[in-house]
Amino acid sequence: MSDRGFWDDNLQALQQNYWESWSRISRKALGTETPLQKNPWEMAQEHWWQAVSPAAPEIAKAFMGRMMDQGKQFFRMAELFAGSQQPGDAAPDWTEVLDRISASLGAAGGEGAASESSERLYKMMGFWVLPLDTWQRMASLLSILPGDLFRNVLQNGAESATERLFSVPGLGYSQQEQAHLQELMRLIRGYQRALHEYSQFFSGIGSESVERLRETFRRKAVNGEVTDSARTLYDTWVRTCEAVYGEHVMTPDFAGVNGQLVNAAMAVKHHVGMMVDEKLGSLNLPTRRELRTLQSRIQENRRENKRLRSELEVLKEQVANLTSVKSVRRAVPAGTRRKTVPKQKSGVES
Amino acid sequence: MKPIDIRPEKLALEMADYSRKLGIGVENLLHADAVETGVTPKQAVYREDKLTLYRYPGADNIRQNPVPLLIVYALVNRPYLTDIQEDRSTVRNLLAEAQDVYLIDWGYPDGADCCLTLDDYINGYIDRCVDVVRKQSGQEKINILGICQGGAFSLCYTSLHQEKVKNLITMVTPVDFQTPDNLLSAWVQSIDIDLLVDTLGNVPGELLNWTFLSLKPFSLTGQKYVNMVDLLEDEAKLKNFLRMEKWIFDSPDQAGESFRQFIKDFFQNNGLINGGIRLGERLVDLKNITCPVLNVYAEQDHLVPPDASRALSGLTGTTDYSEVAFPGGHIGIYVSGKAQKTIPPAIGRWLNAR
Repeated sequence: MSDRGFWDDNLQALQQNYWESWSRISRKALGTETPLQKNPWEMAQEHWWQAVSPAAPEIAKAFMGRMMDQGKQFFRMAELFAGSQQPGDAAPDWTEVLDRISASLGAAGGEGAASESSERLYKMMGFWVLPLDTWQRMASLLSILPGDLFRNVLQNGAESATERLFSVPGLGYSQQEQAHLQELMRLIRGYQRALHEYSQFFSGIGSESVERLRETFRRKAVNGEVTDSARTLYDTWVRTCEAVYGEHVMTPDFAGVNGQLVNAAMAVKHHVGMMVDEKLGSLNLPTRRELRTLQSRIQENRRENKRLRSELEVLKEQVANLTSVKSVRRAVPAGTRRKTVPKQKSGVES
Repeated sequence: MKPIDIRPEKLALEMADYSRKLGIGVENLLHADAVETGVTPKQAVYREDKLTLYRYPGADNIRQNPVPLLIVYALVNRPYLTDIQEDRSTVRNLLAEAQDVYLIDWGYPDGADCCLTLDDYINGYIDRCVDVVRKQSGQEKINILGICQGGAFSLCYTSLHQEKVKNLITMVTPVDFQTPDNLLSAWVQSIDIDLLVDTLGNVPGELLNWTFLSLKPFSLTGQKYVNMVDLLEDEAKLKNFLRMEKWIFDSPDQAGESFRQFIKDFFQNNGLINGGIRLGERLVDLKNITCPVLNVYAEQDHLVPPDASRALSGLTGTTDYSEVAFPGGHIGIYVSGKAQKTIPPAIGRWLNAR
């Protein structure tokens, strides 16, 4: 593979860079220094990707991006357990690392998804928030603005002041508009609460996964098995998390949390749509409601049209058959007509 | 003994190796041709709105079953899964089994299609496609192969138009939508479908993708890509992966009204079991199905659990009901090498015997 060009030329430099920076990385990866920064391996990888990605096809870009993201995740994870500052030094106590992770997850769950510490956790423990991340990507796609807009709209603190502000009853000419805005704020709060509960659910899964992982490694220790590669650690982690996740998401609790999240997101979007419709109506522009009515009527017409066309086709065939029967009648000599015509006629009727 | 002992030097080597493979992968990707799917030659024989009905010409040296086989795929994802590459093509293998294969491609619904109902799909589109196939073949009745949601549609269709169906095959088709191990069903019970459809109009493919990925988020959004790094050096495997990746994220939006009815009637009210599915003027009753039925399901299906499919047994009015169990998953039943060798031949034999 050495003749494959670009990468090999950079490989040694990358490794050297990695060794030189190892001490700094491990401290930061453990969370003992803030803020968490990208390590040289990640930076080198990103630099390289920026150089080569413009030439890659679109599907490859997305696909490689995911592989790079996951590579970062699983090496970050491994770094937590490797933790040595110099080659040859002892690795950190694995149980302490798990304790630290568990504490971080618990703290993040308590503080809510929008807090600074949970943002940090997203980077450090991105693996556990994969389901949440997938939701946020999806929510972003459904939004007219980038990102999961409503996730951070009302921060703690600002929330109570805002709620007080909008709790004042609407008066006068703008009463209805005030009521709409108040309702919007209430719905956004509902969405935030639903997202918070969803995040907490995953935080709980994360903590339980850590405990399950602890059990797994205790058993391995008893059996004399050693996990000595990032990949094996990552695979064990995935299996553990997937198993714990699978147990929890079958419960009615999760169905409720999941349903609340989707319903709350839809409620916000629906209300915004209604407000936009009002504005469009006031400008004498077509509204979504009008469009929907027209779509429904058009579909009714098309359905009717297709039914009539289908009936017309049947009638055409029947007429064609009748015509052919008549021509057969005319073509048949008078002496034989009585024998053949009934047979043809019964065929048409069937 | 410490159960975790990852040495920095080994970690550095792993990182370097991971990076090296990524580098090679990019080279392969840059040189890769466009990802092609739907590899078997086909002819469009009928078009209506976004729908296209294809026919796959059979080989000249094979004497075809005179009764054509119409594949009714799901509205979710794209039907080229059944013909994803030369050596993994259910369609190609059905042709090899002497079947005259037709397939409905639903296309990509857009906002103009939001009011399409299940009645429009089943009594409208499917029925007209069936009529086209009947007319082209000169057969009064044809064979139908329904896949996943398309299988549920085929059951409804056959119950309402039994006179046009000679044999019915359902593949990985949910019938009992409320088995205890049905994760999708458990989740969807709490969703306010009216609010969702009223808000979104059509249901975006991204929302469906999110739901499917959420079934196994750590494997499907994480580990899969780490595993793939090991295959990047193999161009053929890379292309196979890209084909599947393309298919997985190629999710058409769902016409809102159809989605509303499907979720309510099938998932929330379990209508194939409990009854109450109304299409147009008529109620679906599976007892009306009297033709032979072959039910093919996957034993490790995480989307349609085996029990959800096996529930079909005894629900129809047929006296000729058979099952084929495939030891694999929902997607593997179309793309795995093992499936290619077993499932189309089993279907072919079953049809040719009837």
